[in-house]
Amino acid sequence: MKKVHQLSALTLAVTSVLTASVVADQTSRTNGMRDNTPSLTAIQNATIITEPGKSVSNATLVIENGTVQSVERNNRAPAGARVIDGTGYTIYPGFIDPYSSYGIQASAEQERSETPIYNNEREGGNAANDAIHSQKNWFSEFKTNSEDANKWVSQGFTSVQSANLDGIFQGRAVTVSLADKIPNDVIYQSTAKHFGSFDKGSSQQQYPSSLMGSIALVRQTLSDANWYKSSYGKQAHNQPVEFNAALDSLTTIGEQGIVFKVSDEKSLLRADDVFDQFNVPSVYVASGYEYARLDAVKNAESDLILPLNFPAAPEVEGVDGHLDVDLADLRHWERAPSNPAMLANAGVNFALTLHDLEKSERFWPNLRKAVKHGLSEEQALAALTTTPAKIAGIEDKAGKLAQGYMADFVMVKGDVFADGTIQSVWLQGEENELVSRDEVDFVGTYRIDWNGQEVAVEIKPGAGLAGEVKVGDKTSALRHVESDTESLSFVTDLELAPAGSWRFKLEPEAQDAFAVTAVSPEGDEITLQAQMDVPESKAETTNETGSVEYASELTFPNVAYGLNGLPERQDVLIRNVTVWTASEEGILEETDVLVRNGQFSAIGENLSAPSGVTEIDGAGMHLTPGIIDEHSHIAIEGGVNEGSEAVTSEVRIGDVVNPDDIHIYRSLAGGTTMAQLLHGSANPIGGQAQVIKLRWGTDANIMKFDAAPESIKFALGENVKQSNWGDNMTVRYPQTRLGVETIMRDGFQTALEYQQRKQAYERMSRLERSKVAAPRPDYRLETLIEILNSERFVHAHSYVASEILMLMEVAEDFGFTLDTFTHILEGYKVADEMAAHGASGSTFADWWAYKFEVYDAIPHNACLMKERGVLTSINSDSNDLQRRLNTEAAKSVLYCDMDPHEALKMITINPAKQLKVDRYVGSVEKGKHADFVLWSHYPLSAYARAEQTWINGRKFFDRELDKQHQQTVKKEKNALIQKVLAAGDDAKEGAKDGYKPAQPTWHCDTEHDFWLDHFTGKGHQHGGQH
Amino acid sequence: MNKLLTTVSAALVSALALNSAVAHDQVPGDKQDSPIVLQGGILHTVANGVLTDSDLVFEHGKITAIGREVSIPDGAEVIDISGQHVYPGVIAMDTTIGLNEIEAVRATRDAREVGDVHPEVAGHIAFNADSEIIPTVRNHGITHAQVAPEGSLVAGQSSLMHLDGWNTQDALVSAELGVHVSWPRTYVINTWWERRSAEQQRKANKEARQQLMKVFADAKAYYDAKQADLAINVDQRWEAMLGLFDGSKKLYVHANDKRQLEQAIDTSQEFGFELVLMGARDAWRIADKLAELNIPVVFGSPYGLPGRDDEGYDQDFSSPARLAEAGVNFAISYPGYWDVRNLPFAAGNAVAFGLDQQQALTAITLKPAEILGVADKLGSLEVGKSASLSVSEGDLLDPIGQKLTHLYIDGRKVSLSSRHTELYEKYRQKPSE
Repeated sequence: MKKVHQLSALTLAVTSVLTASVVADQTSRTNGMRDNTPSLTAIQNATIITEPGKSVSNATLVIENGTVQSVERNNRAPAGARVIDGTGYTIYPGFIDPYSSYGIQASAEQERSETPIYNNEREGGNAANDAIHSQKNWFSEFKTNSEDANKWVSQGFTSVQSANLDGIFQGRAVTVSLADKIPNDVIYQSTAKHFGSFDKGSSQQQYPSSLMGSIALVRQTLSDANWYKSSYGKQAHNQPVEFNAALDSLTTIGEQGIVFKVSDEKSLLRADDVFDQFNVPSVYVASGYEYARLDAVKNAESDLILPLNFPAAPEVEGVDGHLDVDLADLRHWERAPSNPAMLANAGVNFALTLHDLEKSERFWPNLRKAVKHGLSEEQALAALTTTPAKIAGIEDKAGKLAQGYMADFVMVKGDVFADGTIQSVWLQGEENELVSRDEVDFVGTYRIDWNGQEVAVEIKPGAGLAGEVKVGDKTSALRHVESDTESLSFVTDLELAPAGSWRFKLEPEAQDAFAVTAVSPEGDEITLQAQMDVPESKAETTNETGSVEYASELTFPNVAYGLNGLPERQDVLIRNVTVWTASEEGILEETDVLVRNGQFSAIGENLSAPSGVTEIDGAGMHLTPGIIDEHSHIAIEGGVNEGSEAVTSEVRIGDVVNPDDIHIYRSLAGGTTMAQLLHGSANPIGGQAQVIKLRWGTDANIMKFDAAPESIKFALGENVKQSNWGDNMTVRYPQTRLGVETIMRDGFQTALEYQQRKQAYERMSRLERSKVAAPRPDYRLETLIEILNSERFVHAHSYVASEILMLMEVAEDFGFTLDTFTHILEGYKVADEMAAHGASGSTFADWWAYKFEVYDAIPHNACLMKERGVLTSINSDSNDLQRRLNTEAAKSVLYCDMDPHEALKMITINPAKQLKVDRYVGSVEKGKHADFVLWSHYPLSAYARAEQTWINGRKFFDRELDKQHQQTVKKEKNALIQKVLAAGDDAKEGAKDGYKPAQPTWHCDTEHDFWLDHFTGKGHQHGGQH
Repeated sequence: MNKLLTTVSAALVSALALNSAVAHDQVPGDKQDSPIVLQGGILHTVANGVLTDSDLVFEHGKITAIGREVSIPDGAEVIDISGQHVYPGVIAMDTTIGLNEIEAVRATRDAREVGDVHPEVAGHIAFNADSEIIPTVRNHGITHAQVAPEGSLVAGQSSLMHLDGWNTQDALVSAELGVHVSWPRTYVINTWWERRSAEQQRKANKEARQQLMKVFADAKAYYDAKQADLAINVDQRWEAMLGLFDGSKKLYVHANDKRQLEQAIDTSQEFGFELVLMGARDAWRIADKLAELNIPVVFGSPYGLPGRDDEGYDQDFSSPARLAEAGVNFAISYPGYWDVRNLPFAAGNAVAFGLDQQQALTAITLKPAEILGVADKLGSLEVGKSASLSVSEGDLLDPIGQKLTHLYIDGRKVSLSSRHTELYEKYRQKPSE
């Protein structure tokens, strides 16, 4: 990419690279001679961009002692200054990367212990969790490393914000210049932002092992920091408040803010919810997927740091290539370069980073691609200068060119955002030449006048110098082609007399004119003249912004079968349909159902149609309430179990709802409209559950059904005692059903004592409070108190009779009622006891024999529980079964002659009661939410097919529309494949792992360390049962 | 030393406990010694359509007459089944019934031998005729099951068992039906649990394919050497595969992806194997070819979730209908063991998504019988065939219809009780508080 023009090269004053240390460090002694070389330098005739949007042409930049002295508009250099001719150059403020680990030793990758580790090593007042390093001030470990710095400098960066990118709270970053000097001289901001992520990184500790666990840990830690701030120095209930360096460092995070790395736009929103709660200013290191939820990202009102790791196209070349690639990935390949422009145009501030780029040389091609996709040059420059300067806490010294700012800048031949070449990068007034300013580009054709005959020498563009010489029709190749700043030389065979190998040297004389020295095979030297034809520069269309056309749709979620938005709410009248009311009314034949304003507004015969209501002919069809699943694990991201510790009541499935999960759509297609997303069953007291409506095409918060009271998952038996997890997992308490009981009792007792301490504190006088610390707010225990106060309801994974009786006894001893035993396969053995306690039961229709504790499971379970007065439902616990709970309910008709309408109630009104949402949903009754399914056939039959599924009067599934959708998916996919194929090798450029990995099918006991997989690539997993 | 002793005795104790737990209490039916007449039923013959208000007579375990005006043999037991449905025994393919009892308890699993290549192991060898699973499966009209070992490459040989035996030998209908191969993967996946790069996966896939081709080449060399009467020592593995080369055994290839299916077809043509495709989720993508070559398919995902994100939600539900439309010779299976009992309903689900009801029934009766080479005895209600059949009050393929009243295997009256019905009866008697 040597596009330096010859003329300017010739006329430039020859300057040597400044080698002297301009800013001498102040505390080292000098051994030998002092270096007092003057540093006053002026670059003239340049276009100077002083900050984004502000440009001065024909200006002079004056620098001295590492800082900018002035930007002179009159193009005069101060007397005595070194003068550099900047004609043809643009000078930009040095670029700043606000997210790096430059100069900091990374954590050593270590083998994971085979046996689980529950506690970390304590040293120096560190946090109790090994993923929290907030006490670290990374400046203290910073070392200059010129070799590493080159990764940034070569792309025009002059400073970076840096920390060890490891763990959840990673400590405070340091912002440094990339100059090759001692740390004392390059540290611009010693205590910059806190860094963090949800990834526990090198931590050996079990907790957290899931995304929701990490979120809970962030929440608890920030709360602890608030508590520490007001409590350190006071007396806690058992001793003085401990010294805690990690919390101490976080007490001021509200002023400093955090740079937080997220894996995608959904986790960005998750993180933002938590940081907002604690008023922590946050900047997110984004994923490149922000365009997929642009409005929500915008509403987060946070700055971003964007990697430019646009993905390489998925492989589609093979005749079966389309089988292995998802539409979602093809879409992302096409849209990723538009992400910066979309964010910028939405008003989101962002900085750019080299982070996540496999090769730093891809930075500029990718940024230019982003410009081509609509990012303005001004926006791009802000993302490289002023915005990162602010994020890195150096806006008073870097990011602009003005008096007093550091002399950190970039000289570019041409326009850096189009086809310019970064010629040199100035670090604290020292020049680092990437390309010599004196370099002459010899590419072109030289016509030598050889005594009237034309000899044409062509030097070709490309990596090495090469070319050929043409005399008349004869062509011969050049050998030994060499060039320096002053001449070009080569050897070639000519048939001119005398024939043989001729040696040549070309030296520039004037514009496009060269003196040629040729030495004949016989050793005679001849002098000739050559004229150069300057190659026509290829007019690149890089500045056409917004002209890119897309073959892909942008839907919610942005995957196959995504929608263009929330389906419209409709008022409809379904005529002559068989209505399964799931109420006292039973089954009503040839009935009309009127839906208005998202509710059932009338059910009866021959209803009159109000104006504006759409009529649907329901003849031959059946209408049921939307199916409700008491036990589901769809739409969950980053692990279903925080199964690391025995009690994890602080974690929330609600934090990790995944609105992109295609199973939401598939379950809608099976008639399911509501599901309780439960934590897994890897520990006795698991995480908080989340009830959702299957509102495909919306975001996580809209899917959540807020009217549902809070609930939580408990678990019993083989999973919690880790029976089937191999020989290493045998150290956590409990390992028996005996211990399950005691750990639950101990948990509740702890919560009670905590509550008493809180109440005692409430009663204290101000004077007493000045000496006594408030009890540390503990989200784990707060959750247990909610259970004790009957504000949160327990859904307990359970199989065998003994543990069911045990848990009811524990509940009774602590004064609450166990709400629902989920997939309680031995419920039939203790149905009377359940009914007496008031517990309900949810069961699998016919599962058994997959583990020892389900060997007594029988498909008559639902009938027996129901007969004994237990409120009974059928649950799926499976993304497969959730699509066909209607025929699962039918199995109670099959095995034990349950009345069909009663069977249907087990997947509608009964689970609605178990979730305590039966006021709103679960039956077809006037005033209830219009959540319903239209079936092609008797709904409990194998032959029934859901034709339409509605939620709140909005049609979320329609089999006819689905057929069309299947065709459009195919068509769009083909168009994108065509685009990839047409792009040829260009499509191969880019990040190799630039797509979201598929989320697995979570099972109750899918217990693996989500983070461990990320960090070491050596994960292990248990599970696949229930 | 002490520790070892404790471990051993603990193992013994648990083995004993399990043995007593897994022996079910249903007594196999007596050999049929007098004729039975099922009178006035709706006969789903499979071979000759549905005959309403018809009788079916069987003696010595075989069907002797079907029709409206059959003569009642002397001493016959006449059972009035007016309004009820009679179905040929359902044959469940691709199961581990009798080999697996409790999935999570290693001691109760016998389906998967160690190593990649073990064609010599045969499904019936460890078949537990007393498995508690069996009665719960047959109570849905499933009279026979193909029991196949599992494995990563060459898994072993399957056997056809009937589900009312005293022991392995008694239950065995047909041993060594063919060799089962899990076809090597042909594609790469991008999930967090697959830690190998795309490159590493491709390499591993290629190596597995090469390993499999070498198995076939080695087995062929062994076969050729035997044909030439060379003096060679016995190799149990290749011995087990001889039948593939002389046509006496079939090659059952378990594979789902289109490319796997195509490779299996090419390889079978190269070696002259008689191929059966098992699972075959992508079979619809090459349905015309399968129909043209008349390669039998045992479709194994009737309730499947779509294999790919871009496929329709109903892809697997509607695949049987697509195969039928293209004229593919196919059966339907529901691989597994305890959950195999849902096979008839899975076939019913295919009807909801376009498959003709008769074809659905055929796909779990006559088609499996043909593929397993027992269509002369099983798979349909025809004179001369085994009296292995069920009588149901309603539609066998529909959970709200199916209600078995009688079940016969080779004319023996089979108990309709099971561990499940017994526990049900027991707990119905539990006094209320």
